[in-house]
Amino acid sequence: MTRALASALAGLACVAAAIALLGDAPGPALRALVAGSLVGTAAWTATLLKTAPLLLSGLGVALCFRCGVWNIGAEGQLLAGALAATALATRGPADAPAWLLAPAALAAGACGGALFGAAAGWLRAWRGVSEVISTILLNFVAIHCVALAVQGPLREAAGAYPQSDALPLAAQLPALGRVHAGVLLALAVAVAVHALLFRGAPGFRMRAVGLSPRAARFAGISPERTGALALALGGALAGLAGACEVAGVTRRLYEGLSPGYGYTAIAVALLGRLHPLALVPAALFFGALEAGAGAMQREAGVPAEAAKVVQAVVILISTALAAGPLALRRPRAAEGAR
Amino acid sequence: MHALLGQNGAGKTTLMNVLVGLVRPDAGRLELWGADLDLARWSPAQAVRAGIRMVHQRSALVPALSVPENLAFGDPRGGPWFRARRAREAARALAQRYGLEVPLDRPVEALAPGERQRAEILRALDRGARALILDEPTAVLTPGEAEALFASLRRLRDAGRAVVFISHKLAEVEAIADRVSVLRAGRCVASRPAQGLSAAELGRLMLGDVALPEAAAARAPAAPPGSPRLELVGLSAPGGDEASRLRAIDLAVGEGEIVAVIGIDGNGQRELEEVLAGVRRPSAGGVRVRGEPVAVSPRALRRAGVAHLSGDRESAGLVPGMSLAENFALKGSYDDRRFFRRGRFDLAAARAAVAGAIARFAIVPDDPDLDCAALSGGNAQKLAVARELDGDPPVLVAANPTRGLDVASARFVHEQLRQRAAAGAAVLLISSDLDEAQALASRLVALVRGSLRAVPPGSDRSAIGALLVGAPA
Amino acid sequence: MSEALVEATLRLAAPLLLAALGELWAERAGVVNIGIEGTMLWGAFAGFAVAVATGSAAAGVAAAGLAGAAVGALFALFAVWRGADQIVVGTAVNLLALGGTALAARALWSGAPPAAPRVGPVFDAGTLPLAGALLRQTGFAWAGLALALASGLALRATRAGLRLRAVGESARAADAEGVPVAATRALAVVLGSALAGIAGSALVLSLSDSFSEGMSAGRGFIALAIVIFGRWRASGVLAASLFFGAATALQFRLQARGGAIPYPVFLMLPYLLTLAVLALASGRARAPGDLGRAYRREAT
Repeated sequence: MTRALASALAGLACVAAAIALLGDAPGPALRALVAGSLVGTAAWTATLLKTAPLLLSGLGVALCFRCGVWNIGAEGQLLAGALAATALATRGPADAPAWLLAPAALAAGACGGALFGAAAGWLRAWRGVSEVISTILLNFVAIHCVALAVQGPLREAAGAYPQSDALPLAAQLPALGRVHAGVLLALAVAVAVHALLFRGAPGFRMRAVGLSPRAARFAGISPERTGALALALGGALAGLAGACEVAGVTRRLYEGLSPGYGYTAIAVALLGRLHPLALVPAALFFGALEAGAGAMQREAGVPAEAAKVVQAVVILISTALAAGPLALRRPRAAEGAR
Repeated sequence: MHALLGQNGAGKTTLMNVLVGLVRPDAGRLELWGADLDLARWSPAQAVRAGIRMVHQRSALVPALSVPENLAFGDPRGGPWFRARRAREAARALAQRYGLEVPLDRPVEALAPGERQRAEILRALDRGARALILDEPTAVLTPGEAEALFASLRRLRDAGRAVVFISHKLAEVEAIADRVSVLRAGRCVASRPAQGLSAAELGRLMLGDVALPEAAAARAPAAPPGSPRLELVGLSAPGGDEASRLRAIDLAVGEGEIVAVIGIDGNGQRELEEVLAGVRRPSAGGVRVRGEPVAVSPRALRRAGVAHLSGDRESAGLVPGMSLAENFALKGSYDDRRFFRRGRFDLAAARAAVAGAIARFAIVPDDPDLDCAALSGGNAQKLAVARELDGDPPVLVAANPTRGLDVASARFVHEQLRQRAAAGAAVLLISSDLDEAQALASRLVALVRGSLRAVPPGSDRSAIGALLVGAPA
Repeated sequence: MSEALVEATLRLAAPLLLAALGELWAERAGVVNIGIEGTMLWGAFAGFAVAVATGSAAAGVAAAGLAGAAVGALFALFAVWRGADQIVVGTAVNLLALGGTALAARALWSGAPPAAPRVGPVFDAGTLPLAGALLRQTGFAWAGLALALASGLALRATRAGLRLRAVGESARAADAEGVPVAATRALAVVLGSALAGIAGSALVLSLSDSFSEGMSAGRGFIALAIVIFGRWRASGVLAASLFFGAATALQFRLQARGGAIPYPVFLMLPYLLTLAVLALASGRARAPGDLGRAYRREAT
């Protein structure tokens, strides 16, 4: 907990220093950051809307890291999910009822993300390709797939811009004001992932493999297969995040949909020490950061990319403060006891 | 020639690691050739400069480099260039001078354990060691190689070097030591000239008030074994190197029988263990349990009733970071309905089950949620035993199950194996400890360069030693 | 026609080769630095900024090297000295680069960045065939070739190279022999990152006109793949870089020819090609024994 706070503060301090270094006044910038994320309904709305995709994709990343699989591909998996959801919603049956179409779009998103994750999983398990590189490369592939889609098959009917048609109302997520159901879904999924990891058989196996692949192998658990499953599930979660984004926020698909949610998700996972429930406040922190960064850009003229600096510092301080490399083991009770 | 004696876990290796700068002590002084040294700032580089060289139990050579390269890289002499040919020549000359033959053109990882040992000693000598520390040097040597080593060491001693010799084998100490120091539970309980010390007295010093080891324990009469429970039929498997490749192994272990596969580490023991644990696929032949062929995979073997104990925690299937309860349930994650039903893991059931085991086997500490990495070697092995023997498996494969354990824990494991055999299980023991094998087994077979050779009953140790080297039967 | 292809190959391969060589040094010492992507970006930025400010491309290249070294030092601080996980630290470095260069670029040039002085060819070879393609290369390509040869030689035949290999194969064994593991790894990382920084400056001073955000576009990751594909040998890295350079040159050629294939497909090709190459080649590659593992001295 203290580690998390220390990392967060260090991040903010660093970005303030960076802003000052570049000639701007950090004070107004930071004020805009905080106000834009935490003060007032509009700010909280923005924060919650940013939190949902970060939480979902962060859960995907954390699940994989727990299994010893370095999934750096949440960004691409998210985009793949957004693509799949849009394809189903805009090119599927136009008159499907809402109770069918919205969940179907989300499911399609999960499948799209799972496909990209599974591709890296297959390469890892059966061809020995490092998932670090393959997931990163697939990120770029996904970005261009989205471009391909919105310039071609999924292009809007009017043909004016490279974007998809607006999603039919039936496919859009129900919302309270601007806060869409995906936010609640993300919370529910966090609980579900927690249950899977600590009370589910697949989660049990993933944890074993992450802690000791060799011991797991002797226990009859295949690290390769389990890792591939983790990547598929992690991809599904990130894909779900992408689907929620198109179905709840942007209402259509276009290039540059994600401001790097998939990479921020890594920071979320690490800040939350890979613990699904702890990821909720971690995602909130980064969600507030993203929302505030937008306000900071509008009002103080500081580019929103400053948020990435905070993320980077958080990751660095967070892992540096851990006892040695990312320590998943505790000297006393094992984590599964909770 | 100073022997440092003590049983496993007494602190011998740790003490020597302090001397070479790999471990920082909490307190204490070091006096080296009259000079007082600050141990807080002692480092391996300084130890090397002072002429203290250690040959570790775990090889400290770089596996991917050849012997000449290993000799060269740490050498403070020599210029910026590394000339491979010159290094090879220098290595050859050195080997001849000390009578320690080693292949010079292959990476160290391709060498047999005996050759690797010699290469280590060679490197220590190359640096002009004034004090040479050897940690259990004969663990991987045949009796003949051990004799040659002792001869080399005597030569060194006569040339004025100091030699410290860590061992837990009384016979070796009797053979060559000038002085003996005994460590027990981290304390030095004796340090005196070796002359006149009897083996019995050394044993007493080493073990304290605990009774002598069970070398004199009654060996089970060789009752005719029951029907074969475990059979290896024409089993061949790829190995880490040429010496450890398994070649057409045929072996049968009957009901109630304890068969020990003895041999020097590196002749295929690890490969054999891995096949029987199901993680190494054979290239030919197979495994039969109760006459039925069984697929070589961990789950299939477990379903067929084959339990697996190991001296190495990870091979034993204990996951550090998971609790005792979770480790107890670990092997059944696909098919043990007590703990895994409908895709769910029942932690409460696992806790209850392990609590019973903790009580029965007196595992300490006794918290089912404790991280199993916090267990000592002996207690971890008790957990593994509890798990493996759960359900009274008909076949038990134990590979070096008492490696690194204290005497009490080792005795516990041996007792468990005897009990299981008496109850009718077929027990296959793979061990590099001849004493352990002779104490437990009714039949010995030797694993030499991947092939099994029968050991005639009643063979004495030198005959067995010759067999292990690969002398013609 | 093919001569133009050769020239394009070398020109496109140069930054990949430089970055991959830098990564090779780090990986042979046992450190996986996925932050070379961000390092290249910093190098591109620093090289561009200094070249524009001073009017000298050479100054830009030097600045890029220094910037790369600084990033490498940051990486080494966390991943080597502190022992934090190398993949995680590398990810952070990349994020820092994306955010930091964007911040700095907007601060310096609120409009469009100006054009920078270009790095020209080292020799004026006129219209000589084939050999001319080689001679017309910029200093980056020449440096890359020279460094590839030097790296191979150094790793095999110098004591420093031998010690580096020892550290990368078995840090514990190297430590027991008194080789300073942390210092060796840190040095390898810093020098390698300096090279990656220079590679980044090649992107902006020889392959394009000016700096744009995120312009490394994954080339650092392709350099990582090149190290694997080249089996951790300098000769292999050289060959693999040329391979990818050629593939990129061909891709541009096909793109220019136009046709029915949509543009994004071409953009995807380098990454798909890398994946395919890794899938086919990864199986038998043998990484340095201690690659990716932080080392801390402890009792056996």
